[in-house]
Amino acid sequence: MVSTKEYFQNVWDALKTTAIGMRITGKYLMQKPITVQYPDERLPIPDRYRGIHYLEQEKCINCLACARACPIDCIEMDAIRHGKELEWVAFTLDYQKCMFCELCVYPCPKDCIHMGTEFALVTYDRSELNHDLLSFQGMGRGARIRMREAQAKKAAKEKAKAAAAAKKADTEKDADEPEAAGAGTGGDE
Amino acid sequence: MTPPLALTALPQEQVATTPNPGGNALLDLVNKIGPPEWIPDWIVALHAVGAGVGILIGIVSLIAMYSVWMERKVSGHMQCRLGPMYAGGWHGWAQTIADGVKLLMKEDMIPTGADRVLFIIAPGIVLASIFGALVAFPISYDFYFARMDLGIFMILALGSTTTIGVIMAGWASNSKWSLYGAMREAAQVIAYEIPLGLALMAPLITLGTFSLLDASALQSDWFGMKWAIFTNPANLPAFVIFWIAALAETKRAPFDLPEAESELVAGFLTEYSGIRWSFFFMEEYAAMFLMSVIAAMFWFGGFESPATWALRSAGVEGGIFFGAVCFVTLVIKAFAGVFLMMWLRWTLPRVRIDQVMTMGYKYLTPLALLCVLIAAVSEAVKSLLF
Amino acid sequence: MVEQTQEYKPSIQPSEEGRVLPSGEREFFFDVSTSDLEVNMGPQHPATHGVMRVLLRTDGELVTGAQPHLGYLHRGAEKIGENVEWLQYLPYTDRYDYLAAMNNNLGYSLAVEALMPGLEIPRRATLIRTICAELNRIASHLIAFGTYGLDIGAFTPFFYAFREREWIQALFEKICGARLTYSYIRIGGVFNEAPPGWLKEVEHFCDVFEEKWKEYYDLLALNHIFVMRTKDIGVITPEMAYDFGLTGPMLRGSGIDFDLRRDMPYMDYTEIWEAGAYQIPLGSGEKGTLGDCWDRFDVRVKEMIESIKIVRYCLGVIEPGPVLGDVPKVIKVPPGEAYVGIENPRGELGHYSHSDGGKVAVRCRVRGPSFVNLAVLEDLMPGTLLADSVAIIGSTDIVVGETDR
Ligand code: SF4
Ligand code: SF4
Repeated sequence: MVSTKEYFQNVWDALKTTAIGMRITGKYLMQKPITVQYPDERLPIPDRYRGIHYLEQEKCINCLACARACPIDCIEMDAIRHGKELEWVAFTLDYQKCMFCELCVYPCPKDCIHMGTEFALVTYDRSELNHDLLSFQGMGRGARIRMREAQAKKAAKEKAKAAAAAKKADTEKDADEPEAAGAGTGGDE
Repeated sequence: MTPPLALTALPQEQVATTPNPGGNALLDLVNKIGPPEWIPDWIVALHAVGAGVGILIGIVSLIAMYSVWMERKVSGHMQCRLGPMYAGGWHGWAQTIADGVKLLMKEDMIPTGADRVLFIIAPGIVLASIFGALVAFPISYDFYFARMDLGIFMILALGSTTTIGVIMAGWASNSKWSLYGAMREAAQVIAYEIPLGLALMAPLITLGTFSLLDASALQSDWFGMKWAIFTNPANLPAFVIFWIAALAETKRAPFDLPEAESELVAGFLTEYSGIRWSFFFMEEYAAMFLMSVIAAMFWFGGFESPATWALRSAGVEGGIFFGAVCFVTLVIKAFAGVFLMMWLRWTLPRVRIDQVMTMGYKYLTPLALLCVLIAAVSEAVKSLLF
Repeated sequence: MVEQTQEYKPSIQPSEEGRVLPSGEREFFFDVSTSDLEVNMGPQHPATHGVMRVLLRTDGELVTGAQPHLGYLHRGAEKIGENVEWLQYLPYTDRYDYLAAMNNNLGYSLAVEALMPGLEIPRRATLIRTICAELNRIASHLIAFGTYGLDIGAFTPFFYAFREREWIQALFEKICGARLTYSYIRIGGVFNEAPPGWLKEVEHFCDVFEEKWKEYYDLLALNHIFVMRTKDIGVITPEMAYDFGLTGPMLRGSGIDFDLRRDMPYMDYTEIWEAGAYQIPLGSGEKGTLGDCWDRFDVRVKEMIESIKIVRYCLGVIEPGPVLGDVPKVIKVPPGEAYVGIENPRGELGHYSHSDGGKVAVRCRVRGPSFVNLAVLEDLMPGTLLADSVAIIGSTDIVVGETDR
C-alpha cells in the first residue's frame, strides 16, 4: 500500500513532470520547424552521394572489373572489339538488385564509372529499373575516327610490311622489279 | 422548479436571469415569424427540429474538421514539423475535407465473421449520442436548441452513451484486438464517470445551477471576469481533476487505451475503415469540444468575457451582433481547451490500464470528493460573510 | 491483479508437457486451461519493431505466456558470406542491424583483419572508425529512445530523436554517400578520407547534442507516467542476465559492469578508456528494481552522452594521415579462423570468419546481439499486463533484421 507521503508525492510528481514536458513541447511549438517541404525545397546533396550510376562511356574499356567487383552481379556489359576501340552493345545496371554500395566504383582502372546524385527510382514497371548506362549505342565519334585511323595505319603498316616482304622476296628473286614499293603509298586516305 | 439547495445562498436577482426555463430558440423564432394559420403546429415544430439538426450537424462537422486540422498542425509544430501544407493552399486548410472525401470513397469493408448489424449501427450510436449531447450546447444567450435546467446532466448522460457504441464496435468486429479495446473502454469510462461528475460538483455548488446558460450568466460580473475558477478555492483543483477525467472520457492520450495503437494495433477501430471509421473520429473530436465547452461554461465564464461585458455596458444586449460575440467567445475558450488536450496528448506517454484504474478510483475520486467538500464549505463561509 | 500474477509461473517449465508439433516446435499453449485467449502479436504489429511475431496467451489483460517466433526477415546473410569475396560481403553486413551499420562494418572488418597479421591499420583510419562507430551508436540509441517512447505512447520524443539522428545521417552522407547502409568501414581502414570541414561539423554536433540530451531526459525518461510504466516491469536479475548470455545495455541495465570496449578492447578503446574519456553507465535500480525496463532505457540514454565523450576525445587526437592500409584490390586472406566481438549498440556483435587462404570465406558466422537478447522475452512476459509486454519488447531494443539475418 502507498503511504500518505508517497500518495501526495505521486500527485506532485505527475503534475510537475507533466508541466516540464509541456514546457519542452510548448517551446518547440513556438520554434520554426526543421522539416523541408520536399518537392519544393531540397536539401543539398553531398558530392559523395551514392545515387544512380553514370558512366563515362568514352573512357570505359570494357574490362569487367566493375562487374566482377559487384557483390550481386548486377552490372552486365557487352561490346564488340574493333582493335582497341569498342562498339558498345549494352552496359546495363539492374537497379532491382543494386544496393548502392559503391564497390563497383573503386576497382575501375579508368575511373569512369561514378555514382551520381540522382536517387528517385520510380517507375511504372519493374523492367524499367534495368537501366542502360550507355549514352550512345555502337561507337562514339571519336572512337570511330580513331578506329579508322588505326585501321588505316594498320592497313598502311600491313601494306608496307607486305611491300617490304615483297621487296625482300623480289630482291631475293628478282632485283629488276622496283615499282612494287611505290604501291604502298596508295593506302593513305 | 424549486431551486437547488445551493441556490438559496445566492442573491435572488441573479437567479432571476432565467426568465424562460425550457424551450427552443428556433421554435420561438419560427413562431415569431408567424407561419400561416393553416399549417399545423406539429409541422412547424418538426421544421424547427429539422433546422436544429441541420445546424447541429453542420457545427459538429465543422468542429471535427477543424479540430483534426488543428491537431495535425499543433502536433506537427510541436514535433518540429509543419503538418499538412498543400491541400487548399494556405497551410493545408482543406486537408481534412480532402481526407473526408477520400474516406467517403473508400470501399465499405465488413470483416467476415463480424456481427454485421452491430458492426454497422455502432458508429451510428456513437455519433447519435454525441449529437444528442450537443443539443444542450447553446450557441448564444438567445439562440439554443434546447434550454434545459439540467443541461449538464443531459450532456454527461448522453456523452457517456458513446461507450455503448464503442463496446458494440469492439464486440462486433470479431477481432481480439478490438475486443481488448472495447473492454478497456468500458472499464475506463465507468471508472472516470465518478470523478468527472464529482469534480463538476464544485463549480455547480459555486454557481448554484445546472443550466449552461444560467451558469454563464452568473459569471458576468467583475468586467466579465467573475469566472467560477476565481471565485472558489476548490475550483482550480476541481478543474484539474475534471480535465483528467475528461481526457479519459474522450479517450484522448494519455488515456487512449481503447485505441492504444502501439499495443492494440488500433483497438476497437482495428476493423473499421472508410466513413464508419471517420464517424468514430468525428465523435472523438466532438466530444473533446463538448468537454471543453463544459469546462468553459462552468469554470471559465461561458459567454462572458471583457468583450461581452463591454458590449453589455454599451447597451448592446440581445440581437445578432451580441450573439455572435458570445458565440465567438465561447468557441475561443472551447478551442483553447481543445488545444490544451492536444498539448497534453503530444507530451505524455500512455498510462497502463491498472494505473488508469488506480488513478480513477484511488486518486481522482477521493480528491474530487475533497474538492466538493472544500467548495461547499467555502460557499457556506462566503454566504455567511457577505 | 497483482495477487493474481503470482500464480503464473514462467511460461515453459521443463517438467511441463508440451505438445510437440511435427516440425519439432514445442507448442505449449494447448496444455493449460482453455479460458486463455491466444493473440498473435505480429508479424504486422506496431510494437514488434519489424516483422516479428509474439504468440501471446492472455487472460484478459494479463499475459500468461509468450513465445517469440522469428524468421520472417531471414535472408541467409551468413550463407551469402560464404559465396562472395571478402570485400563483397561488406554491404551485406550493413543489412542485418540496419540501425547500426557502421558497427557491423567495423565488426566484420576487424574479424577479417584479425586473419591478416601483416596488415597495419593507419591511426587516422582507426580514429575515424571510432568516431563513426560512436556516432552510429548514438543514432541507434536515438531510435531506441524514440521508438520506446512510441511503445509507451509518447509520440513527440520520437520526432526529436529523429531530428538529431537525421543530422548524424547527414554527417554520414557527407563522409560516405549513404544514409543508412554505409559500407564505409572496410577491411584495412575506411573507404574515404573525411571531407574537409567534416570533423568540425562533428564537433558542432557534439555541442548541440549535449544540450538536447538533457531535454530528452526531462521529457521522457523522468516523466512520471513513463517511470510508472517502466519501473518494476520486466526485471532481469543479474543471474538471469548471465544465464541468458545477455550483452550490451540489456546486461548493463541489470547492473553488471561489462562492456567489450573496455573489457575485450579492440581498436584503440583501451587508450580512450585509460585517458578517462568515458564511463560505462550501469543500471542502478534508481526508480524501481534493478534490471527493470527503466534501467535499460536509462543505460541507453546515458550511453549516448558517453559516446559523445569518446567522439570528442578522438577529435582531439586525430591527425592527418592515410586512411587505408596496404590492401590489395582483391583481398586474399591467409588461412585461419578468427572471432571478433565488438560492442554493437545492442550488445556483442561477433563475427567469426574462417579462411582457407582464398578469396572467399569458408565460413562466415554472425553472433547477433538481438537474437540472443530476445530469448529472455519468453521468461519476462508471463505475469505482466498486455501493455507491459509491449514495454518489455521495446526495452530489449531488437532489430529484427539482425535476429533473422
Ligand atoms: S553499387 Fe554495388 S550493387 Fe550496385 S552495381 Fe555497384 S557494386 Fe553492384
Ligand atoms: S571497371 Fe571501369 S573501365 Fe572497366 S568496364 Fe567497368 S566502367 Fe568500364
